[in-house]
Amino acid sequence: MPHYYFDLHNGTGLTRDEEGLDLVDEAAARAVSLETIRSILSDEARSGSLDLVGRIDVRGAAGETVMSISFEDAVQVRQPAGAAHD
Amino acid sequence: MIERHIARLRARHSISGAEEQAIRGLVSETRRVAKQTVLIREGALLDSSTLLLDGLLCRYKDMEEGRRQITELHLPGDFADLHSFTLKRLDHNILAMSDSLLATVPHERIQRLINDHPRLGRIYWFSTNLDAAIHREWVLSLGTRGAAERTATLFCELQVRIGLIDGTSPKEFMLRMSQSELAECLGITPIHVNRTLARLREEKLMSFRHNRAEIYDLAGLRRLADFDDGYLYLDPEPL
Repeated sequence: MPHYYFDLHNGTGLTRDEEGLDLVDEAAARAVSLETIRSILSDEARSGSLDLVGRIDVRGAAGETVMSISFEDAVQVRQPAGAAHD
Repeated sequence: MIERHIARLRARHSISGAEEQAIRGLVSETRRVAKQTVLIREGALLDSSTLLLDGLLCRYKDMEEGRRQITELHLPGDFADLHSFTLKRLDHNILAMSDSLLATVPHERIQRLINDHPRLGRIYWFSTNLDAAIHREWVLSLGTRGAAERTATLFCELQVRIGLIDGTSPKEFMLRMSQSELAECLGITPIHVNRTLARLREEKLMSFRHNRAEIYDLAGLRRLADFDDGYLYLDPEPL
């Protein structure tokens, strides 16, 4: 099975993945990324913040970036009409 | 190698010389297993219990799509399945997380031991109650604590349990498990574990890298976890 590394970039900086995971294919790597982003966002939301600025860069065994998934891709956001962005 | 088991018992209860001899008589055969070996499968009929002499074991339950929840970790000197003495079939699996040395203890020997030494029967009953207390704390963690607090709680628990064998409060210890396995204890993904460990490192509380846990600030880690070691019954009433 191919090995993938998941580097996380978010408001607290870069967390490089040194261990990685064996997964069947890129679709599985994408699923793990989405699950992780949702897990992190829900954990942050418990303490009252929601920061959608961030991404996971997935690297293959040779170090090449296979895909990049932004936090925004992992959740559907609905806001009240006219809500201010800042 | 059974010394660690006896040390673990003596950390909480007095054990007389005669009782110690009886406990030593439980073990005759030992065997080595490679990491990632499933020692006991859910539902299998058992006529012996497994005592961990060296290595690391866990109890886990399987879900579809290869998902697992680890429900307890077993350290050297722990029985992994003393409860199989009465249950005979387990509702969970037992996995060797690292290369491990095991002793197989036939249930008939446990039966004889508690007939001949009823007090040891109570001490082993205490031991299964302690496992239940640890499970309750894990339920509390999974249900109410955030990722960082959950991780901190687990390492606070392991720091106490590992120190029990030699009566120390270790600042660092080896724990032969991957971030994926840690994730299966904590109910979050491995990458989230990686992020959480980075946070604990940045906050100068602890680190866990290459199977080595280092506690920088035990009081701070306990404060973050809201950790109370009462559930580990470190100073129980005499039996």
